[in-house]
Amino acid sequence: MCLGISLARTELPLELIARHGLDRCAHARGGEKEIQFLFRDRDPRLPVWQDGQLQIMRWGNSHGQSRLLPRTGWTWQETIDSGGWKNLDAVPVDIPASLGFERGVWYRIRQGIRGLLVLDEQNSHVVYMICEPSTHYYRVMTRSDRMPMLIDEQI
Amino acid sequence: MGNSRRDTAIGHLDADCFYVSAERVRDPFLCGKPVGVLGNQGACVIAKSYEMKAAGVKTGMPIWEAMKLCPGGIYIKRDFRWYEVLSRRMLEVMRTCSPRVEYYSIDEFFFQAVPQSPGMSLQDSALAIRDRVAQEVGVPATIGIARSRTLAKLISDSAKPFGALAVLDPEAEASLLAERPVSEITGISGQREKRLLPWGIRTCLDLARADRRLVRSLLTSSGETLWWELNGEPAQPIRANRPLHKAISRGGSFGETAVDPAVLYAWLVRNIERLIEELHYHETLVGRLSVWVGYNDGRSGIGQTTLAVPTDRFDQLVEAARSCLRTAWIPRAAAQRMHLIAENLHKREPRPLGLFESATEHNRAEAVAKVKRQVNDRIGRFALRSAATLPLKSIYKDTSNGYDICDIRGKTCF
Ligand SMILES: [Mg+2]
Repeated sequence: MCLGISLARTELPLELIARHGLDRCAHARGGEKEIQFLFRDRDPRLPVWQDGQLQIMRWGNSHGQSRLLPRTGWTWQETIDSGGWKNLDAVPVDIPASLGFERGVWYRIRQGIRGLLVLDEQNSHVVYMICEPSTHYYRVMTRSDRMPMLIDEQI
Repeated sequence: MGNSRRDTAIGHLDADCFYVSAERVRDPFLCGKPVGVLGNQGACVIAKSYEMKAAGVKTGMPIWEAMKLCPGGIYIKRDFRWYEVLSRRMLEVMRTCSPRVEYYSIDEFFFQAVPQSPGMSLQDSALAIRDRVAQEVGVPATIGIARSRTLAKLISDSAKPFGALAVLDPEAEASLLAERPVSEITGISGQREKRLLPWGIRTCLDLARADRRLVRSLLTSSGETLWWELNGEPAQPIRANRPLHKAISRGGSFGETAVDPAVLYAWLVRNIERLIEELHYHETLVGRLSVWVGYNDGRSGIGQTTLAVPTDRFDQLVEAARSCLRTAWIPRAAAQRMHLIAENLHKREPRPLGLFESATEHNRAEAVAKVKRQVNDRIGRFALRSAATLPLKSIYKDTSNGYDICDIRGKTCF
């Protein structure tokens, strides 16, 4: 599964970068500057499009902050389809990303990844990345059995 | 540096890390970053940017090895169709820069080097051509200009990346040749290199200065050709029109076996469509067609037919191939691979109609073929294809199957 993303810094409004101190996650790989969002961060977050606005939200429930939500950062599309999130008023959202990260491999993402947004019992937004079984190519490239659901893109 | 002692010479253009550069043309985010293009279903690096090369990643390296050497590397799935589009664009630009251009491979051309404006030196012309290709196609390339093909290629290799160098002065040539090991010459490596060693031939200059008869005895007449070339005597002309192929073939493995004749027929039609693309590219017509089918129990079948008139028409080729397949088909056996082989090739020229062909029928078939090409050029390969290929839905659904590696001319397969 996708353990992190990187987003071209120019994709993020400056106000948002300042408000969330995102320059601490800045990364210079060469070329355009990037901001990285990794699940292994102390306080994992993801950029999320909600109501036409880009927001920074908590990624998953790895520390068990919520007793209701699953203690992970991902959910299968299949789980959503079979009604697994029905009682939580989950809404589909888009997570913009320039790159995905999986087992040491960075790969290009054209638009972003599909996500699922829910509210926990403290009314905080929590986003989960939606995943699906890997394509043959993705499995060979990353040695992972699941891949993120990409927006209008197949790799 | 040698300047324009003569006003014509031979040029060599080689795009810099072409597949990566091609990706950067449509995706500027990748500029300045370490990038690797993956082939072989994502298993290995078939092209890398200079940033990734600097980290020690080599072409052909498995991805798990590359990611250790270059943890910040970004990996991209190859898209040969796009690379082919840019390659054709480079060819178009080159044809406006030179009266004679040879399409040597997807990212390399040889050309007759001429001043780009009256009185311009060949050194300045090399720079002008390089800059035009960069500006009009977006791909950085290196250009070498010299007295022969072999020298031009050695010069462009030494001037990479984004270099432009004309070396026509024998002294400057000699100092360049002295720096290059003989193995850098295309056609000399391994056994041939070893044969030269006892004679103290290590550098390109050693080879150029060696006795011609010795070189011939060690490396046969092809080695002698290189010797002339290294000494500035062009012995290999620029082939603006490639000689006709003896045969063109298309086909390959099915991935899984097929017993159902409808599936086999679908593969036949898919391969005919691929074959027609290639025939069209080479402006060639088929005189004789063979269909070979391999089965998983080791058996194989072949059917052959001679066409009434040489053709590249879909309807005529399907008709011919169908009867070949009937001969090659073994009922109930599991077929695993198929090859279509076109032989007895003719240059495509306006031709008289065959005895049983009607002009309207012919014009209609030509018009259909043209529309099909235009749609597929615009929307994507196989966007418009025969309904007979419907049993292969999953093959067409994965767009990465769109371009088989062996559909790329003149490049190593990965
Ligand atoms: Mg090249």
